[in-house]
Amino acid sequence: MQQVNIKIIMRDTALAVGLRHLLHNLFDIEAERIDEGQLAETDTAATDLFIADSRSFASCIGFFIPRRTKLILLTDGESAGDGSIQTLNRFADEQTFVARLTQIVEAVREKAEDGNELSQREIDVLCLVASGMTNKEIADKLCISINTVLSHRKNITSKLGIRSASGLSVYAMMNGYISPTV
Amino acid sequence: MALVTPETKLCDVIIDEPSVIPVINRFDIALGVGDKSVKSICTAKGIDLTFFLTIVNAYINESFLPDYPFKTFGAKGVIDYLRKTNNSYLRNQLPNIERHFRALIGHSDANNNLPLLLQLYQEVKAEIERRIEADNTWFDKIIELEKKAGQAHISIDPAASNNEADSIEDKLNDLKSMFVIHLRGDYDHNLCHAVLFAIISFEKDLRQNNRIRNRILFPLAAAIEDNTK
Repeated sequence: MQQVNIKIIMRDTALAVGLRHLLHNLFDIEAERIDEGQLAETDTAATDLFIADSRSFASCIGFFIPRRTKLILLTDGESAGDGSIQTLNRFADEQTFVARLTQIVEAVREKAEDGNELSQREIDVLCLVASGMTNKEIADKLCISINTVLSHRKNITSKLGIRSASGLSVYAMMNGYISPTV
Repeated sequence: MALVTPETKLCDVIIDEPSVIPVINRFDIALGVGDKSVKSICTAKGIDLTFFLTIVNAYINESFLPDYPFKTFGAKGVIDYLRKTNNSYLRNQLPNIERHFRALIGHSDANNNLPLLLQLYQEVKAEIERRIEADNTWFDKIIELEKKAGQAHISIDPAASNNEADSIEDKLNDLKSMFVIHLRGDYDHNLCHAVLFAIISFEKDLRQNNRIRNRILFPLAAAIEDNTK
């Protein structure tokens, strides 16, 4: 079974510990609880999933929004971010809660087994290509060389099977990396 | 498949390579071709045999290199063929795909991906329409120059082929990848397959016709232009 890396970010200790034990007992996953201050030093490319409650999400929104495809937001039952953020309802009955958590873990395992997943840097480049920037502008913005941009673009194309900027833009919208324009 | 020769039966060509059906249609050859050879069908229809073989072989075989110079046909023949192709894109293929696409979206309520894919399709469609408009001006210019050149001998340089990557082909390929690799959520399977098949066959037809354009018309137009300078 593919080992996945899950980080839990929430101030409520009872909730965090409960979730960590649930992930261990049901799925044999050793999730790590970190506090909000540690997020900046987290290797996001190596993290498969962040589970945050609404308070931690609100105080670190700048970190979570660009990484929302890797985020599960623990809510009181409401949807989040126009439906573009996945949620886990903490007030759902036990059976529904476990079923939803199973669905989330299975999706994460499936993604982790797929070697074609984009790295965080490739996602950054993808978003800038989708916003219409040239390779030179992307290089300047990310403080990297044009050759590095070209190499990221080549990897993105080979992982996704998409070549054109328009195609990459639609892919970025489909996956919530940028806002849809339709 | 092997090169089509004057003796090849047209029915064998169609059965081996069904994507050639729109091509023979552009020559006003309807299905129900019997077991006649290409040569006898071209003779009966008054079609220039060399021209037909050049177009069909360039369409079917990626590595086909035309036999320069073309003694029996000029740029006008190729342009007439490409104009028919453009018209069939505008009148049939492009609106058909869009109609199926809209029906698919109408029958797949909860899927947010499909309107984004339609958006990409509409972008490709608009680019094709712009290219067809530019073609009309370019084609008129070549025909005009060909008239001026008259029967003068022209020397065609195969290196004058256009080898530039085609952004329309790239986008159609991306659209195909979006459906095949990245489509998520619920959708009407029958309609989705219909849209995907239509996109795949259109992409193939466009790619094959680009070959005719790039390897036959481009060098021919360049030679005519040189000759009239």
